[in-house]
Amino acid sequence: MSSLRSAFAARRAQVLLPLAGCLEAHLKNLFADYPRIDRIAVRAKSVDRFVAKAEKLENGKSNYDDPLSQIQDQLGARIVTFYKDDAEALAAQVPKYFRHIEVRRIVPDSEREFGYEGIHFILFIPADLLDDTTGTTAPADFFELQIKTLFQHAWSEAEHDLGYKPSTVLTHDQKRRLAFTAAQAWGADHVFNELFQQT
Amino acid sequence: MDIGSIHSFLIHPGKSAEEPREINGASVPMSGKLFGMLKPVFATAEEECPHNIAFVPEADGKQKNECRDCLIGYMKDSDLQHGREVAKRLQCVTTHRSGLGLLFLMIGKEASTIKFVVSRFPADSGILAEEKAKGLTVEFLERIFMKSATSYKAAVYSGSSYTKDFWKGKAADKQINSAESYIADYWIRDFLRSDFLTPGEAGTRRLAIAVRETMNRCTNPGVKMDAVALHHLVAGMSSQVVSAKKLLNQFHVPDSTQEQIKAHFPRAKLFDENFSFVPEEFLKHVAIRIVELDNGGILAAEAERFDAVFTREVVNAPANLVRFSTQGRIVDQRFRKVRP
Repeated sequence: MSSLRSAFAARRAQVLLPLAGCLEAHLKNLFADYPRIDRIAVRAKSVDRFVAKAEKLENGKSNYDDPLSQIQDQLGARIVTFYKDDAEALAAQVPKYFRHIEVRRIVPDSEREFGYEGIHFILFIPADLLDDTTGTTAPADFFELQIKTLFQHAWSEAEHDLGYKPSTVLTHDQKRRLAFTAAQAWGADHVFNELFQQT
Repeated sequence: MDIGSIHSFLIHPGKSAEEPREINGASVPMSGKLFGMLKPVFATAEEECPHNIAFVPEADGKQKNECRDCLIGYMKDSDLQHGREVAKRLQCVTTHRSGLGLLFLMIGKEASTIKFVVSRFPADSGILAEEKAKGLTVEFLERIFMKSATSYKAAVYSGSSYTKDFWKGKAADKQINSAESYIADYWIRDFLRSDFLTPGEAGTRRLAIAVRETMNRCTNPGVKMDAVALHHLVAGMSSQVVSAKKLLNQFHVPDSTQEQIKAHFPRAKLFDENFSFVPEEFLKHVAIRIVELDNGGILAAEAERFDAVFTREVVNAPANLVRFSTQGRIVDQRFRKVRP
């Protein structure tokens, strides 16, 4: 796995980091006139997170034979909006400017659960950002774009830190408390969106 | 890259048919005249196919496309059975107006790279004239299949991994500009379940920004006039598949102005890329036209209406002296910290 680590580290430094800067500028330029966008950011996946994802087993089997080619969120973009209606409006604009191969509205599996929510796209990296003269091409064709509200973003950041890779396994009560905060974030989003629609 | 195998299928119209006809297919020998005709079609497919296309996801948004799966099925097992599945897809979307066609599936492999070409030759009719020792015989022939300059269709895909590659390719469709949507949609949208790699708004925005930057940065009055004229022409244009180069040629924009516009493209290569032009998107990016005079006067109006809002008369042609006039009620006045 050390060769995968070093191969990705080299790609990250040489290609992904510069491309992340270009993609962030492109997205900011594209959505500059849209109201109530809190932030637009693009990151190149960290080496540790890439290796962890590549090594992750599901049912005792790796998801990737060729992680350098197959992992599609080596570049991850995020747009954070104020309200749910803004997130939906932006999601409707994305296919006009990027060709996508996947769009998912991630919500908990059951109506009794509260947890991560967001709109995720897998998009082709626009040809505008690939360099003609040097022949530099993207390591993969795609990047991931997440569109979230402020509350969805805040919850997922904190939950990722606490729950996704815990130093100790979370207890039942701790998991319930995380779900409780997700429910509060969900409620806040709904109330703010209603207020936004009413005012 | 050499061709590894070729299969051919006769495709009768089968869209909405209750009982589609059985599809007959055959392997094409890797030598002889037919092979000689198809070999350059395979070799030059990338150059022959000008449209960058990508498969679209399923309606539920999942990263899956039934046509891509079908083509990959054939790439993995390049035999008549899997080829017939591709042929069935084409038959299901072929109308009587599209007519009879001959489908060719050509595949080649070199090291880990796979290249796949799918093409459709339309049926035509013709006359066979045979000269004999004492005379001439003429015969009417139906079902002549040729690489027609007006309705030949093809697509080419290359890659090395069935899981990560083959999401995008290149296509040729000589009828893509047809106003009749069933013709325009037949090959790329219906059969290949694909769309242009660059969405219409993205391609149009790229062109509009290049035109705007040319207008704003160029000091040559002739180029500026070309940009204004182009704006007027484009404003009345309907939606169609174009490249920037094709659109500028269509409106006879001089080469020198085209070069200025091309210089403001993020990559020179994109000047030739095809996309579905979206007039509303173009106008969003060149919305306001501003004229500045040497006496300090600055006139601004919606680009589309500028010439209707301001009447321009030439006062002294050799001195480039003009007078603008307008009338209306004042609805607002503003200060700005910088010149527009």
